Amino acid sequence: MTRLLDSARIETLSREESVRGVLVRMVLEQAEHADNEEVLQLENALQLLLTRFKSLGDDVL
Amino acid sequence: MILRSVELENFGRFRGQTVEFRRGMNLVIGPNEAGKSTIAESIPAVLFGTDRLEKFKPWGRNSCSAVLFFEGQGRTIQIKRNLITDEVELVEQDDLYHVLSQFSGKVPLRGRSASCREYRALLESLLGVADENLFRATYFFGHQPKEWSGDELAQKLRTLVSGTAETDYGEILDGMLAEHFKLTRHNPWGRDKQRDREYEEVCQQWAELGEQDKQCETETTGSVPVFVEIDSSANIKEQIEKLSQELETDRLEREKGKRYIERVRRQSVEVSETVVPPVVEKKPVPLEITTSKGTLSAQLAAVGLPQNPPRELLELLSEAAKTRQEFAELQQPFAALNNREQKIPLVPWITLFAIIALLSVISAVAWWQHWQVPMVLFGAGVCSSLLLGWGGWRHIERKKALAECRKKRGHLEQKKIVAQKRQADLSERCEALGLPSSAIDLVRVQKLVTAHRELLELWWSDGDLPALENDSRQNAPVSAEITEKPCASADAEEAGYELRQLEARMVEFEVELQQKESRLQALQSQFKEFSTDHRPQIATPGTALHHRKLALEERITVLRKAVNLLAGAVDEFSRSHLVRLNDEASKLLGKITSGRYPALKLDENMAPSIQVDGRRWMPVESFSRGTVDAIYLSLRVALAKVRDDGRSLPLMLDDPFVHLDQKRLATTLNLIDLASADGQLILFSHNLELGKRAARERWHVVPLDGDAVAASNEEGGEHAGQLHLL
Repeated sequence: MTRLLDSARIETLSREESVRGVLVRMVLEQAEHADNEEVLQLENALQLLLTRFKSLGDDVL
Repeated sequence: MILRSVELENFGRFRGQTVEFRRGMNLVIGPNEAGKSTIAESIPAVLFGTDRLEKFKPWGRNSCSAVLFFEGQGRTIQIKRNLITDEVELVEQDDLYHVLSQFSGKVPLRGRSASCREYRALLESLLGVADENLFRATYFFGHQPKEWSGDELAQKLRTLVSGTAETDYGEILDGMLAEHFKLTRHNPWGRDKQRDREYEEVCQQWAELGEQDKQCETETTGSVPVFVEIDSSANIKEQIEKLSQELETDRLEREKGKRYIERVRRQSVEVSETVVPPVVEKKPVPLEITTSKGTLSAQLAAVGLPQNPPRELLELLSEAAKTRQEFAELQQPFAALNNREQKIPLVPWITLFAIIALLSVISAVAWWQHWQVPMVLFGAGVCSSLLLGWGGWRHIERKKALAECRKKRGHLEQKKIVAQKRQADLSERCEALGLPSSAIDLVRVQKLVTAHRELLELWWSDGDLPALENDSRQNAPVSAEITEKPCASADAEEAGYELRQLEARMVEFEVELQQKESRLQALQSQFKEFSTDHRPQIATPGTALHHRKLALEERITVLRKAVNLLAGAVDEFSRSHLVRLNDEASKLLGKITSGRYPALKLDENMAPSIQVDGRRWMPVESFSRGTVDAIYLSLRVALAKVRDDGRSLPLMLDDPFVHLDQKRLATTLNLIDLASADGQLILFSHNLELGKRAARERWHVVPLDGDAVAASNEEGGEHAGQLHLL
């Protein structure tokens, strides 16, 4: 696991009943069964998405 | 859980004032600039912090704080925040004032400390929300548009279910797809795949530059691959400077060493002259030769060559170079073939069949209308045949071109297999001789052989000498022979030994020096190549292109992954949440419309439709503005219910229906009144006419007209607002 997926912000978002929350849960689930390279890709994709959702402040990492 | 009160100690225009609320409907009423929005904004500001402190900090004061009191389920929660220092105090108590949970610490809006995490976790467990965006998307109603279409309503709902108050997941998806389409034509989503985009253009330029570079390399032998080492031109310059300095020092050292050895030799001669000269018999100086053999081996090892290089080394290296060249030559036709295959156009069957279908429709219409039937049928038939013929011809051409490409590819593959076999044989031979077999190692050895050719020639010319492993044994008898000579004194022996040691060290030093000189020469020639001819013109754009290509590849990968993830999340959300959201909203809509519209459903794009007459589903465009408001309100309340898991936090409506006329406003207020029955609604409005309605409906009123808040507080009663208005 890398820093973004381990952050408290992601933990909070993963409990939301919203598209954003479902998205974070899906990424965390996929990351559990992924190798390092795939985890990095997932993390980059999630970072891009959360930035577009304007949900990624300084508190993420 | 309801919001019982907000204490504004120093917040905006408020000083030590408390605004109280009740379960059900609450109306905060006052003219513009009376502070309605300030009260509304104080709630998320206390809960999560704010980055708009200047807006809320009273002028000329150095404090800004507020307190929220929540109440429900036998508990009270008090949250106090100093907005300047972001110090937060949270206390949860039961009815008997026992403290159930407590927090005190600094929690800025985007804080990431342990105390921030603790606070947010507590907030989430108590109120069910720990994110400002989600709080606003769930509990805040802003101004509504004068008219809104079904699309606008769907977009608003998409934004709200996304978990933000600003961004719609559909827009995000479209934005990412647009960016992807802009970057490359290779997309899995089926849009315009013919036209080259930035990535394809960069690849094309990259391939062209690669060809130029290859030509350049063939012109200047021994040059380095431009894309690999181009960035190091500055490094090369630095290395040259450093190496030149080292060489200067080393040359001085060498001169010193030579002088010293000369001196030692003279001393040795003097010593040997003072004693009886030794009788030198048959094999006079095998010592020098064996030392040379040993030194040679050491020198070979020192420069990175095998200690015992076989005579086949040169032949093997030459074969390896040929194989490499062959592989490199094979790469170019493969790339060209791929490029050619991609450029073979597809037959536009869909367009052709669409045109034929259109012609058929025209023929059918002509038949039906009895209008120039034979002419039209003949024309349509001829056009269709021509189109099909053209399509078939294009299809055959495409097949032919593809078959030709496949044939060429087959030839190339065969060549590649032959080259691979040769490479494998070569590796086996290298391994059998104890040489490294990888291509990189062989290139390294090739360079070393070129640089130290003389050393190797010397080694191979001494083939009649004893093997390397016997050197020590050879040395021993010679030394013994010398020591056994009766005329050799201890001093002479010591001087001779020292001299030999020094000479051996000097040889090693010379080798190192030569090595450095050849390295310097190589670096200088590299640097010269960079700064002459047309190479720099290729080099800089080549590097930039390479970086751009890599960046584009990375971006495209991330975008694809992100699009797939978001599409998957939207599908999953629809499956898991939409049914419950539809059920809750339907219940509420049925209640608000007295059973006239009992069911509401959202499709996958969040576009709502209403069931009419128990069977037909109609889109919202077909309904009046009042009904659309009812639908929106039902959905918002339902969304809050789905999200807050029964905690029923207050819904805050900040002049949401400002554009409505009196009749519509009355209808909407009825809806709000009904919606507030199960929880708490706080309506902020500047419409003073609402006061009368509030008094009639026994809403809780908070007037904001100067002293009214203070008066309300002094009297303390729940009906203070209504009394003031009456």
